[in-house]
Amino acid sequence: MTQSFPFPRRMPVRITFGLGMLLLGIFGFVPAVGVLVASFTDLRGIPGLPIDFVGIQNYVDFFSPAKWADSANALKNTIIFAVASTVVQIVLALGIAVLLNRSIKGRAFYRAVVFMPTILGVTVTGLIWSLIFNVSGGPAASVLNLFGKHSAFFGDPKLALALVILVQVWMVIGISVIIFLSGLQAVPEELEEAAEIDGASSWQRFRNVTVPLLAPSITANVLLGIVNALQSYQLIYVLSGPNNRSTQVLSLLVYVQGFGGASGTTLSQSQGYAAAVSMVQFVLVAIVSLIALAILRRREAKL
Amino acid sequence: MTSTASPRLERGARSLTRSRSRRRIPIGAYICAFVLLVVFLFPLLYLLNTALKSQAEFVSNPVGIVTDPQWGNFTTAWHKGDFGAYILNSVLYTLAGSIIGTLLTLVLAFPVARGYIRGAKYWSVVFVLVLFLPNALITQFQLLLRLGLYDTQLGYILLVGVGVGVGPLLLSGFVRSIPRELDEAAAMDGIGYWRYLFTFILPLARPALVTVFILQAVWIWNEIILATVLLADPTKFPVTVGLYAFKGTYGNQWPLLAAATFIVAAPLIVGYVFIQRYLVNGVVGAVKG
Repeated sequence: MTQSFPFPRRMPVRITFGLGMLLLGIFGFVPAVGVLVASFTDLRGIPGLPIDFVGIQNYVDFFSPAKWADSANALKNTIIFAVASTVVQIVLALGIAVLLNRSIKGRAFYRAVVFMPTILGVTVTGLIWSLIFNVSGGPAASVLNLFGKHSAFFGDPKLALALVILVQVWMVIGISVIIFLSGLQAVPEELEEAAEIDGASSWQRFRNVTVPLLAPSITANVLLGIVNALQSYQLIYVLSGPNNRSTQVLSLLVYVQGFGGASGTTLSQSQGYAAAVSMVQFVLVAIVSLIALAILRRREAKL
Repeated sequence: MTSTASPRLERGARSLTRSRSRRRIPIGAYICAFVLLVVFLFPLLYLLNTALKSQAEFVSNPVGIVTDPQWGNFTTAWHKGDFGAYILNSVLYTLAGSIIGTLLTLVLAFPVARGYIRGAKYWSVVFVLVLFLPNALITQFQLLLRLGLYDTQLGYILLVGVGVGVGPLLLSGFVRSIPRELDEAAAMDGIGYWRYLFTFILPLARPALVTVFILQAVWIWNEIILATVLLADPTKFPVTVGLYAFKGTYGNQWPLLAAATFIVAAPLIVGYVFIQRYLVNGVVGAVKG
């Protein structure tokens, strides 16, 4: 669609647009496409080594018995992390948004406080919660002590992933709350009133009037949550380190395989393999988001 | 987009005043809100409490409220961690990266939204694609290595700068609310494209551009993995990496570590008070776009 162009010369548009796209292309798209190419090579982290095409060997390796224990572990953690953090985040965010949509004093302040962790960032958030879950005498340990129990928290393989999910929800829930709040403001008061006159209880009003009207916000939140959770690893990196098996997700596996961190293994520095793991992760994100989108769209259409 | 958001907000506000006159004070809601405050503020207050303890007090009584505040912890942490240099690095990366990203967004999104460039329809697909690129850690590292930009501030800035995310989508939505007649009138008066873009569109699209800038700035300020991979020289570390390295060194001295964490968090919290409104609008706008 070439629209009429009012300005005297087209050259300036082409120059700035072209330069911009060039920059975005080189530093944005070249690495992205490069991952696909690199995943078929035996690329290594040390410069100067010859690079050979190895076909689908890296993908075969990923699913091979020798590596399957690690791969399956990372796949499992990634999916649990993504699903659990998205679900918990959305349920809690919806509750908080409904609460903050009521006429209580200081709503803006509460909203700002809930959104604040987003700005603190992963390092600060990670350190704050490491302090709280400090094994020797942190507040969480003290509470457990009252009941005569103790825990290794992030050192406990059964608990670590759940705690990481908890902190992740704490950190990103503000965004979901804001999205739900803006959705709630679009729900006409008249509808709620009509339902109230018809004798609907407040739960029925919430379930049958508010939630269906919030469908677009729920779609946005689910997609955002899934994409974020499947790709986020910075928080896990800070909270439990890159090599903690019980919290290792695919993106951390990419980091560990590509840039070491695992001490003295020959696996590390194999960046071709790491690129293949990136692609597996990419396909997973795409499949999960498309499925989620299809389900949510169908639900939206039904309403 | 932003234009449709405002009438909704007004309607929300009106219905709010109506319900306020009808309902009594919702005690349950205030209790929930209080719980919310505790959940989100307690961790920060506990951090401050720990930061003020001496190492001896922390060991003997880690959880209790501080009895003898050690304000010196902050200066010790500041000097030992060299946070001044790290914060300066972070400010440089954040400002330079966000300026590059915002300018990119402007020069890319405006002509596409207006159809002033051939194949505008396909370029807008590109703006969506930017959001769904695979994790390119490996090749970003290789690219900088091959361009001789590994372990340089410029290389890191360029890579975070092109991370425009939802920016172009957000701005092209906003540009549609600027009347096309303005372009034609300006062109009639003999104003060239560049002058028009930077002296008319830039100020007119300021709300959207500020949002784009802040969203990217928050992302860059928090970035830690790319910086770990692309920068080797500790004097170039941003504060995220610096703080993480500090944890590696002083991991068992929690009061000092807490003081360092607080040093990094404090300017963020102060800054947040000022940019809060833009951030919230930005999130809403980004989702609706």
